[in-house]
Amino acid sequence: MPRAGQGPLLSVQGLRKSFNGRTVLQGVDFSVAAGELVAFLGANGSGKSTTLRCVMGITSPDSGSISIDDTALENLQGRELQQTRQRMAMIFQKIHLVPRRTALDNVCAGALSRIPTVRSLSPLLFPADVQQEALDCLDRVGLADRAFDRVGRLSGGQQQRVAVARALCQRADVVLADEPVSALDPHAAEQVMALLRELAHSEGLAVAAVLHQPDLALRYADRSIGLLQGSMTFDLPSPEVTAEHLDTLYAPDRIASDTIVSDRTQAA
Amino acid sequence: MTPHTLTPAVARRGSSAQPRVALVRPKKPLRWITTAAVAAAVVGLHAVAIEGTDFKPELLVDGWQGMAAFIGDAFPPDLSWEKTLKPGLEATLVTLWIGLLGTTLSVPFALLLAALAAENTSPHRLVYQVARAILSFFRAVPDIVFALIFVTAVGLGPFAGVLALICHNTGVMGKLWAESMEEIDAGPQEALRTAGANRIQQVANATLPMVVPQFVGLLLYRFDVNVRSSLVLGLVGAGGIGLLINQSIKSFQFDSMLTHILIVLVLIIVVDQFSAWIRRRLAA
Repeated sequence: MPRAGQGPLLSVQGLRKSFNGRTVLQGVDFSVAAGELVAFLGANGSGKSTTLRCVMGITSPDSGSISIDDTALENLQGRELQQTRQRMAMIFQKIHLVPRRTALDNVCAGALSRIPTVRSLSPLLFPADVQQEALDCLDRVGLADRAFDRVGRLSGGQQQRVAVARALCQRADVVLADEPVSALDPHAAEQVMALLRELAHSEGLAVAAVLHQPDLALRYADRSIGLLQGSMTFDLPSPEVTAEHLDTLYAPDRIASDTIVSDRTQAA
Repeated sequence: MTPHTLTPAVARRGSSAQPRVALVRPKKPLRWITTAAVAAAVVGLHAVAIEGTDFKPELLVDGWQGMAAFIGDAFPPDLSWEKTLKPGLEATLVTLWIGLLGTTLSVPFALLLAALAAENTSPHRLVYQVARAILSFFRAVPDIVFALIFVTAVGLGPFAGVLALICHNTGVMGKLWAESMEEIDAGPQEALRTAGANRIQQVANATLPMVVPQFVGLLLYRFDVNVRSSLVLGLVGAGGIGLLINQSIKSFQFDSMLTHILIVLVLIIVVDQFSAWIRRRLAA
């Protein structure tokens, strides 16, 4: 999709959310520019995933403004809102493909919003141009040769790359990845992170990824954002993130585990 | 001696003194009362049920000669081809066809109602409730009642049996399918929703392809059940081997009856093995 605005592709301001009186996000502001990979870091329950889910519209935030290409979503309605939302695609930790279908059919599903309902009832009815586009998307993630394999037969890393291809077939220019590599082995994790970075750098996508591995974030992300109990503690270019920054994020856990270790030592 | 000698780490270290972590199970005094109450209720219910069904084993012991005479009359089974075997096999095929059509022809109705009656695929709460109610109705009315109703319209014969099975099976299979759709991982459907797919597209491209193995398994199970049901439908005039069994009993030809029952036994085993084989292939 051609760019309209001049600002960052995705811009989020004052995002707040609480569940049953428990505050999960207390005012999160960030932006992701086209061509940039931004990582979200934080302990469990720090609000990383909720942030992405609010931006994606899966969870509705209590307040806050989300803009895509300088267009605020809250000012849009109906068809326009839907079309703008579709510029964002989500990658899930659990991948969420249909294992019994082929990689190609799964990627085609990213284009469903452009296919008439009657032609989307079976993969046999998918329009030829959509199938061709899906194959091109698989090619961009390096899996064109596996197009007609069932997804269930692919490895975890390959499956996540198929999910990325599905996002591409959606023609999204903002990709939100919720722990995209947590379920993958280290090698596959590196591959998927490299793919996300390449899509940002060479194709100009804005990519935001929630990550549980600080080292992956610092090596692949252009910028890293730290979340602690629903607030941002830092938003820095990755090379400027220090061990102290990371310690603040995971400190509560570390103190707890230190206590256990010292306790054991004393007992022995 | 301390009661907490279970901690293996302590034992290995050889420190016989106080273990570091005391083994104290949390006390739940109510659990005993609950268990006792449930046991008492189950025993009480059985006492009432035994009374209500005239359950008297001594009658069975006293009347064994009647049973022996009946079974004695049935032996040896009548294996004459023209009189018993040929009509038996033909009628068995009819029974099989009733079961088959009753299962397959209910698929479109069951599929539609299941999609409307599963929480994750139903378009609206009201539609969901109505679909559930329709399924409950078809399930609650026994197939034999449907058969009697259809006999009044289309007359005695297998066709009434097929119609009856379609109705009842729609209710049962629709309910089973709806439940298996509700149990399926919601992730792929959510993924397509975020991609902008509409409800029908989500169901057709995520939910349904995810549940195909469960659907086929349940379909085979229902085929198995329906073949056996169509036997009973034969007893009320819906044709097939059930009708022949009924006729041979009424004309005191117990040796023919036994032959028919043996044919049925073979049919049931074959159908059971067949559906087990398909299910194994699916699981692999």
